Amino acid sequence: MMQTAVEIKNVTYRYKGAGAESLDNISLTVNAGEALLLCGASGSGKTSVIRLINGLIPHYYHGDMTGNVTVKGRDIANTELYELAGIVGTVFQNPRSQFFSVDTDGEIAFGPENIGLDPKEIRARTEMTAKQMHLEKLLGRSLFELSGGEKQRIACASVAALLPEIILLDEPSSNLDWETIGQLREIIGEWKRQGKTIIISEHRLWYLKGLMDRVVYMDGGKIICEWPGAEFENLSEDETKAMKLRPTVVKKEYTQMFEDKTGSGAFIQTETSDGILLKDFYFSYHHRPYVIRKKPFSSADGEALNLCIPKFLLPKGKIIGVVGRNGTGKSTFLRCLCGLEKDCTGVIVSDGKEYRKKHRIGISYMVMQDVNHQLFTDSVEAEVMLSMKEKDEEKCHAILDDLGLLAYKDTHPMALSGGQKQRVAIASAVAAGAKLLLFDEPTSGLDYAHMVTVGELLKQLANSGSTVLVSTHDPELIELSCDYILRIKGGKVDSFWKTEKTAKFI
Amino acid sequence: MSLKLDPRTKLFMIFVVSAVVMMSATTPFLWAVRIAMTMAPITLLILEKHYASAFRFLILYIIALLLTFRFLSEQSKGFLMAFLVGYCSIIVQFMPAMITAWYVVRTTKIGEFVSAMQKMHVPDGITISLAVVMRFFPTIKEEYASIRDAMKMRGIMLGGGNAVRMIEYRMIPLLFSCVNIGDELSAAAITRGLGGKVKRTSVETLKMGPADYLLVALFIAAFGVFVVFKYLK
Repeated sequence: MMQTAVEIKNVTYRYKGAGAESLDNISLTVNAGEALLLCGASGSGKTSVIRLINGLIPHYYHGDMTGNVTVKGRDIANTELYELAGIVGTVFQNPRSQFFSVDTDGEIAFGPENIGLDPKEIRARTEMTAKQMHLEKLLGRSLFELSGGEKQRIACASVAALLPEIILLDEPSSNLDWETIGQLREIIGEWKRQGKTIIISEHRLWYLKGLMDRVVYMDGGKIICEWPGAEFENLSEDETKAMKLRPTVVKKEYTQMFEDKTGSGAFIQTETSDGILLKDFYFSYHHRPYVIRKKPFSSADGEALNLCIPKFLLPKGKIIGVVGRNGTGKSTFLRCLCGLEKDCTGVIVSDGKEYRKKHRIGISYMVMQDVNHQLFTDSVEAEVMLSMKEKDEEKCHAILDDLGLLAYKDTHPMALSGGQKQRVAIASAVAAGAKLLLFDEPTSGLDYAHMVTVGELLKQLANSGSTVLVSTHDPELIELSCDYILRIKGGKVDSFWKTEKTAKFI
Repeated sequence: MSLKLDPRTKLFMIFVVSAVVMMSATTPFLWAVRIAMTMAPITLLILEKHYASAFRFLILYIIALLLTFRFLSEQSKGFLMAFLVGYCSIIVQFMPAMITAWYVVRTTKIGEFVSAMQKMHVPDGITISLAVVMRFFPTIKEEYASIRDAMKMRGIMLGGGNAVRMIEYRMIPLLFSCVNIGDELSAAAITRGLGGKVKRTSVETLKMGPADYLLVALFIAAFGVFVVFKYLK
């Protein structure tokens, strides 16, 4: 008979202060060695299920709970969290907020130290885990120097060093790029081979293909249905869309596009000359030594440049997807474009006017990945007014109305949902008169329904005359909204094409 | 050459230097002792290859010292002079403690620090809180950089000329994101066994070496000299 790893029986749970139940009479049994995927929209209760199993509910997040949860024969409600540390391990969504040390070695050793293992044993485990996960190169480094993907791999290793039998992953790919998602897949595969019980809550489904034994679909705090892994993968796109899930497969043309394999050099000229012209965008993070005056960057700096775009015409009123591997100049490009890098030489020409250096700030605006950083005031209305040079309440209300925010005009921005915050940031950009709107991975960590909303929003902005640049790792978003694709490689424009021709160019 | 000191020695140094900073030097001899004590962390920074910061501290300190002794006196008058006197005395007075603290923060790993605190039988509650504070410095720096970027894009770096706004715009997003990160961080730490009843172990083995004993002895001596010459003679 198969051993049971986790048993959840008739659990109903409501977070303290929340209006409605987050979990509504959930029952779920997971066998030892099984790989289970929890899918469903945001707020469907996936994360709460993960928290039930690692004990954060009810021990850390307090609320009203009925029913009971048993993990490896232990009743969670009567088990202290630290007793679970060696049994259940959790990889969280955000790589930057789940590490405790500042160096990688210390981080992997942190868990074993907490449960009081012998230092010799801890060193052996650190070494073994690093070897299994191919992390040798990352040992002995400062965690603050690592990329998001590298941090997430260290997070996986530090969980594995406790040798838990059950591993939970709560939207682990949210902050990862195409390439590191592949590495995450390998790690999960390795755990599966070791016979661990794996439970993943996730929006991105394609990368788990072939790894999952069972898939559970949740909605409104209830388990709606479940499939064996293989059967779930065969669901048609229409079926997944109806459940507001992201597709389970990525079309081949997108796989190739993200893997950077083909399509290089495909380049089409924008048909009209009506566009936003970028000129002389040269930039490097490493300035050559100078005495009194910095010498401006130029094409003569060649390979030393992190960004080298002599001339490029952005079609006006269109949505341009910016793709390319991490660390290849995408974010440098966006930062230079919106004037955050003062030393960048670039000039933006729009409607015959030239904008250089800090004047670029007025014409372009970037909506950051963590939108919390760019909300400063205590009400939505004040936030938008702050951006206006001449305060115009009527215009402010019109902008808010367009974005469906008028009802919230007196709400504190921090009290809004993630998507609403994003729209407040957009509203303030529109109010400032930005013609070029930049989005830095706006859909990472969003479910399909919210992604569609973002896609619609981008279209709305483009239709009202703004030019939208959106950097993304989500093929679904490109398919939903992008008119053009711009691929950056090594700080240069590698290729540029219309999306309807995507297949042709590859 | 790198000199690895025991965190306990480093903590002791902070303690002694801060105590001495609070006692003003009155005779040339005491000044000499104070200056010598300030040179200790600077030398250590150089040994740990933090050349740039060691150099900066050294220059700043020397300038302040020279100004204090050569150009400024109690008869100095005028706005500029008053400003300089204030500025130099703050630097001369508190710089030694700042340098030492900087040295300790830059060269101590969190694991080492926790291990040292445990060896001194400090309760875990205090140790962990202090460790989290150390862990948070770089996070605050990162978050602050993003917020500055966001402010630049909005053109509100100067808060519209209003000093209160200028601070408010920086602090509110910073507090929100630090609270969020802190909350997620503690949830993650708890699931990995932090706060258990088991006695925590540590991979960092700490041993006081000759250099440690030498430095501790020197600092005790310096402290003794200060107390004797200032209060007993």
